[in-house]
Amino acid sequence: MTLLNFFQLLVSGIAMGAIYTLTAKGLFITHLATHRLNFGQGDFLMVGAFASIGMLTAGVPAPLAVLGVLVLMGVLGYLLERFAIRPLDRLGDRAGAYSWVLTTAGAALILQNIVELGFGKSAQYAPPLFSKTRDNVISILGVGIFFEEAAIIITAFIVVGAFYWFLFGSRWGKAVYAVAFNPEAASLFGIDVRGVVVLVFVLAALMAGISGVLVGPLVSVHPHMGLIFTIKALAVAAVGGFTNPVGILLGGLLFGVAEAFSNYWDSAFGDLYPLLFVMALLAVRPSGLFGERRADVR
Amino acid sequence: MIEVDHIDVAIGPVGILHDVSLRLAPGRLVTVIGANGAGKTTLLRTLSNIVSPRSGTIRFDGRPTAGIKPHLLARAGLVHVPQGRQIVPGLTVRDNLVIGADRAGLDAGTIAEGLEREFARFPVLKERQHILGGNLSGGEQQMLAVSRALMMRPKVLLLDEPSLGLAPQVVTTILKALRGLADDGLSVLLVEQLALLALDTADEAHVLQRGRVALSGPAAELRRDRAVIESYLG
Repeated sequence: MTLLNFFQLLVSGIAMGAIYTLTAKGLFITHLATHRLNFGQGDFLMVGAFASIGMLTAGVPAPLAVLGVLVLMGVLGYLLERFAIRPLDRLGDRAGAYSWVLTTAGAALILQNIVELGFGKSAQYAPPLFSKTRDNVISILGVGIFFEEAAIIITAFIVVGAFYWFLFGSRWGKAVYAVAFNPEAASLFGIDVRGVVVLVFVLAALMAGISGVLVGPLVSVHPHMGLIFTIKALAVAAVGGFTNPVGILLGGLLFGVAEAFSNYWDSAFGDLYPLLFVMALLAVRPSGLFGERRADVR
Repeated sequence: MIEVDHIDVAIGPVGILHDVSLRLAPGRLVTVIGANGAGKTTLLRTLSNIVSPRSGTIRFDGRPTAGIKPHLLARAGLVHVPQGRQIVPGLTVRDNLVIGADRAGLDAGTIAEGLEREFARFPVLKERQHILGGNLSGGEQQMLAVSRALMMRPKVLLLDEPSLGLAPQVVTTILKALRGLADDGLSVLLVEQLALLALDTADEAHVLQRGRVALSGPAAELRRDRAVIESYLG
């Protein structure tokens, strides 16, 4: 491997890793506040990717298309909470403790089939989002990298930054922490607990949607691509320790980079090795690389 | 401020409270004492609408509270300091103080005033305002819990065993603060297991026994009556 190759793989890995991080953040925030997560998170990403492809190929300008995807994903997140989560909470103990796995995975199947009806089974590529052509290469310190990848990395980091601000800087983030700690007590301080639950599911859907928009130009998009993204996002969240937002960022980048190199060495089974590594890691450190046992850590 | 009329409360098939009635007037400090499992916590959770009574009515400020969500009751001034204090450990003392007031829709000026007032009431909170809530001692957490509630400008303050797990002098500080608040016109309902201390502080008292009000009267009178203490222990 040449040094040039090394840097290009590194950049590609960071781009994918940043996208995994965004997807995993969605899992993190609903898990933090409700101890539930969307097993269709990857399918939400798929819907985001298709919605963006549909609008971009129809000639909608990119900023408007992104806005459209965000609105659609917000509505989907709300609907998921309304129909896959809230009825189970109403049932209380009569619903099994993990019923939400089935309801969210079921919602994902519905989405897959709707998208397949609309777009067909075949794989597609999204047109580049930030540049006119796919092979727009820029040179940084003598290393040629795809402009698209660089822009995706920057965008993903901006979104991650906004997410941190939301969680630690905004009044809503504080409400999320209060609900995560004790929903009943939170309601006694005047916090609308149901509102917070809706908010975190909408946020999770937005994170998946943004990931979908960003991933579209990088990988082939098809209606059944979601599951592997769900699995990878779960792996990243597990490496990061699920309750540690900084850990998830590092876990996501590590995972993306590991995957890029692993695919370079073995194009047939490249996706496998990082997941094996995560399994081995969790066997040794069940709370992840950066995890803590307490759910209330920053 | 609070009128409870003949409420029955059950959790699942188990009846917890039976035909409980009580009144809480402005500026009064009323205590409800009773043994573990007598239904004291359930009474407060019912007043906050976390559980709904099976029958009977509850009025707050003259209006029935049936069907009003707990967070809206809290914002309207029926503020409940739950058992075990429930300080959010990952937020700073200051954030814990502000979180309720912020939800109650108070403006920045009122919140700043409230902070000044609470820092004067419990100076230790001012010193520790940038520390995470989880790093406070039990007594400091209880002060924080009371101050967090007061930041919301309550009309009625409900307290669930503020003495739990605290050193005697801290309990005295807290009860003194509550007495002062009632003297300033706040309505306070204090649920306690430390019967003698609660009776020393309160204006009126109710003894709860297996979900029923066994005895009611002026706190000073119940304090003199040995039967109270005995029925409470029994």
